[in-house]
This record gives sequence, C-alpha cells and structure tokens, in this order.
Amino acid sequence: MSIDDTALWWARHRAAGPERVPPASAHPTGMIRLVEPDASAVWLLPELPDNARPDVLDELGLPGIAVDQPNDTARVLAACLRCCWNEPTGPVWPAVPAPFDHVIGVFRAITGSRDERALHAAAMGAVRRLAGAGWVLFDEDTRVVRLGPRVASWSAAELSTLRELWRSLPAPPAGGA
Amino acid sequence: MTAGPELTLDQLAGDAAVERLYRQVFAVLARESGAMISDLELLDVDEAILDAFADAGRDGLTVDQAVAACRPIDPGLIHRRFEVLRDYGAISKVVDRPNERFHRAAFAPYVMLLFLRRLAEQGGQAELHQLLTLEHVSVTAPDAEPETGQTTISRLTRIFRHLGNELAILAAGSTAEQLGDHAQLLWGNKGLISQAEEVHTVVLNRWPQLDRECTALRVALAAYGDAVEKAAGRLIERAGTTRALGLLSVETWLSFARTANEDDLAGVLDTFVFDAPAPWFSPNLLTEAVESGRGANTVRQPPPRPEGPAAPPPDDVRPADDAASLRETAERLLGDGDAVAVSDVLDDAGDWLAARRLLADLTAIHHHPDLAYELTWSDGLHVDPGGSPSWVSDGTFRRGRTEDAA
Repeated sequence: MSIDDTALWWARHRAAGPERVPPASAHPTGMIRLVEPDASAVWLLPELPDNARPDVLDELGLPGIAVDQPNDTARVLAACLRCCWNEPTGPVWPAVPAPFDHVIGVFRAITGSRDERALHAAAMGAVRRLAGAGWVLFDEDTRVVRLGPRVASWSAAELSTLRELWRSLPAPPAGGA
Repeated sequence: MTAGPELTLDQLAGDAAVERLYRQVFAVLARESGAMISDLELLDVDEAILDAFADAGRDGLTVDQAVAACRPIDPGLIHRRFEVLRDYGAISKVVDRPNERFHRAAFAPYVMLLFLRRLAEQGGQAELHQLLTLEHVSVTAPDAEPETGQTTISRLTRIFRHLGNELAILAAGSTAEQLGDHAQLLWGNKGLISQAEEVHTVVLNRWPQLDRECTALRVALAAYGDAVEKAAGRLIERAGTTRALGLLSVETWLSFARTANEDDLAGVLDTFVFDAPAPWFSPNLLTEAVESGRGANTVRQPPPRPEGPAAPPPDDVRPADDAASLRETAERLLGDGDAVAVSDVLDDAGDWLAARRLLADLTAIHHHPDLAYELTWSDGLHVDPGGSPSWVSDGTFRRGRTEDAA
C-alpha cells in the first residue's frame, strides 16, 4: 500500500470516523483491523501512540469535542458496557449484542429515580449520539445495542479502570441476550 | 509658469487667467481662505448658492437675495460661504465698484462641483473611461498632429503610472483593510487597460516615430496590470484566511457564488480539514458520570412539615381584638342615653389631639362586627371659628345597629 493510500485512509478516518471495509481490502499502516464477529467486515481504527491520543487534550487543558448531555451520554455508554461486555476479563471488542431494554434497565438503576418518559428520551438520545460517534452500534429496528469499534481505542490501563466500573455497576435484568 | 524669468506681458496675462480659473474652481472646496472644507454639508451649501445664481438670471443676486433663495439653510452659513466663494473669485460683483450689491457667479466652480459629485459617487473610474474615450477621439481626428499623439501618450503614461504606483505601494506595504478601502482602483481595470491599448495602437500606426513614448505607455500599462494582480491576490488571500468578507463588495461575492462551478466552490475549502464530531469518553469520565448519577435524585421532595397536630400560633401573631376596650369607650361616651352628637363628644375631649383619637375610636366601633353601635353622618355643619376643630360635620353616635340589621 502506497503512502498516498495510507494518507487517504487516515484522512477518511479523521473525517468520517472508523471505516467499515470488506475483510480482504486495505490494511493501512498504523491502523488496527477489528474483525466483525462473523468475519463479514473489518473496521479500520488508528493505533495512536500514547502522546497523541484524545485524552492528551485533557492534560493540556484544551476543550475536546463537545457532546450534548455529556453526563447522561457517558452513563448510557457505561450501561452499554455493562450489558454487552459479558467477559470483562477479556478484550472489550467485539463483545456481544444486548437488547436496548437491558441498557435502559442499567441506566435506570444508576441514575436514580426519574420520570420513565424522560428516562427513555435521555437514553435514546444518548445512544443515538454514541452510535453517531462510533462508540456503540445501535439497530433502531430491532433495538439491539453492540459496542462500536471506537471502544477498541481504550488502552490496557484504561480497560482496567473500566473493569472496576463494570464490577460496580448493577447487573442487567436477567433472562436476556 | 515654467517659462523662466523672461515672461512677456502676454504670458503673464495668460498665467493670471489660468490661476484665476484655478482659484474659482477650488472655491467650492475651500472652508475659508486657505483651508479645505472638512464637511460635506458645505458642498451642499455651495451647490445651493450656485443654483440660486443660476436661477437668478442676468441681474445677479445680492447677498440677502441669495440667503432668501437658499431659505431652509442657516443664513449665517450662507453668509460665510458667500464670503469664501467671493474671496476665491467664484462669485464676483456685477460691476466692480464700491457699494455694488449685485453679484454674479462663474460657471467653472459649478462644473467642478458636478465633477466632484461624480468622482465621489463613482470613484473616478467613469472619468478615466471618459478621458480615454476623449483621447481616442482626439488621436483619430483627421487633422490630428504628431504632437497631439505625443501629449496624449505621455498623459496616459502618467495616469497609469500614478495608478500603478499607488496600488503597488499599497499592495506591498499596507494592511488588507487599507487595501480594501482603495479597492475601487481595482475594478474595471481590464476595460481601462484595453481602452488605453486601443489609443496606443492608433497612435503607433499613425505616427511610427512616437515609438519611444508608446513603449513607455506599454510599460506603464503592464506595471498597472501587475499591481492590480498583486493587490487583488493579496485581498483574496487575506479574505480567505481571515474570513473578512467585507474586503470585497457583497455583489462580488454573490456573483462568484452564482457563476463559479463546483470545483471553484470546493476550492474555497481546499485547505480545511473537518474533524468528525466524535467525542472522546475516557474511563474516568464514565466513572465520574456514573457516580454523580447515583447521587442525583431528581424527584422533588415536598418542603419539611412540622410533625403532630398543629399547635396554636403564639399569642403575638394572633390578630389583636380590642372589642372590650372599644365597648368600654362607647359606654363611657353614651352613658345612660341611646345617642350622642359627635360635636359634643369632640368638644368634651378638649383639644384636637384627644378629639381625633376619639373620632378614630368611634369609627373603629362603628366598623367592628361584634359591637352594636352606629356612627351616622348627615349634611349639617357646626362652625366655631374659635374652637380647636373649627368646624364639625353633623354626626350622631348611637347604639342599636345590630337590632336594626336584624
């Protein structure tokens, strides 16, 4: 693969987020390939060095990209992690699909009492925002949530923090997924 | 006036005539003798005065007639402008003798005024085009001499050197804002240059001996073209990076947007990279959000209430009821009778300070729901100029209102 092609793939990622490509296609330098569970496609995700990751913005005190309802969105992401990451001792990708109702159940448990309609609206908005940014994959028709390719960009140290979080979260309602 | 020290009388007279014309022409721009105007309104005043002279006919105008003709304008202002115009010779006496009251106006200042207005409105481009057309006419005239062609060519060379120099200096050293202020020098330059080239071609074909002057004109035109390119390039570059869209006129942007093809439009954003709107969630952020979410309880709690049956409020917040003392006052005033006149009660009270307190008590007794007394007023008036209340309305205080109501 030429330098131009590699640059193009990096530019594509920068402009459009993680790219879903056929399994036998490109393998740009510096990108990891996340294979879908059924091996039908591959996600291309850049493998950034430690001093070039998005959390560097925090260290520098610079504002990152803003997101609406940041707290609710983060809670829904945590709930998705709790529901989809069924083997927290292993890697976070690809995890398993989970019904959206389970996510809402966890979300309800960690947000305290809240009006049911407001709860659903907040969770739906948050999961759509997360899906737009590639953190989760959300199928609106079947209401099934999966972790998105971007979760694979968490480092090993961050994953251990997330495991702590996973253990502290309430389990999803039994009998699903 | 470069003829040297040996001026003939004719030359002197000619110079004087030219200078007089210059003075007249610049009168409209003079604030007072020897200074430029700094106020646009003064130009309007000048125009009004000159208009008045144009309407006046052959007799001319006195100062006062001019003031009357320019009615809405402040007379003092008219007087001052009149003096300035007279100082410069734009207005002069009909007959040059002392005590002559009527004045006439020269036509040159008015023509100058018209030119100034046009220059101010159109930035001088139209005048340049007209000048070029006139030069073209003069060099194509059948009776034109080589000298005509030479003066024309040298004049055009100077004009374009001026234009080119000004633009080149601005483009090299000034800020983009200054450049934008002089942007009218940039517009229509293609037309100007091609017009000048036409004149140049005519002259060169007709008088090949003017080759040297024509070369100078070509150089000046090329320099002007280069300066325009450079200045426009700088403006566009600055406008692109600073988003200072005001540097070009709105119409210029609109016509660009309407006429450009897709590649041109896309080229505007060539150097920009758009980040996908993907927020980053660090595990710490997730943890903090989850923990703050547990603490937050969004159900509204009612404010705390006291427990147990409601205790009676303390004495000092209960409404004061002075029925007993009011009844006592009423009985004291009525004594054994059923009615007493208000004027008597007030007289008994002595001074007005005590009387008005009693009056207030009577009114309170009348309005108290539990007390069966009544205060009624009628039309009469007790007048006593020496008394403390010098007049008292005829009123009666009596018992038995509740029986009446029942």
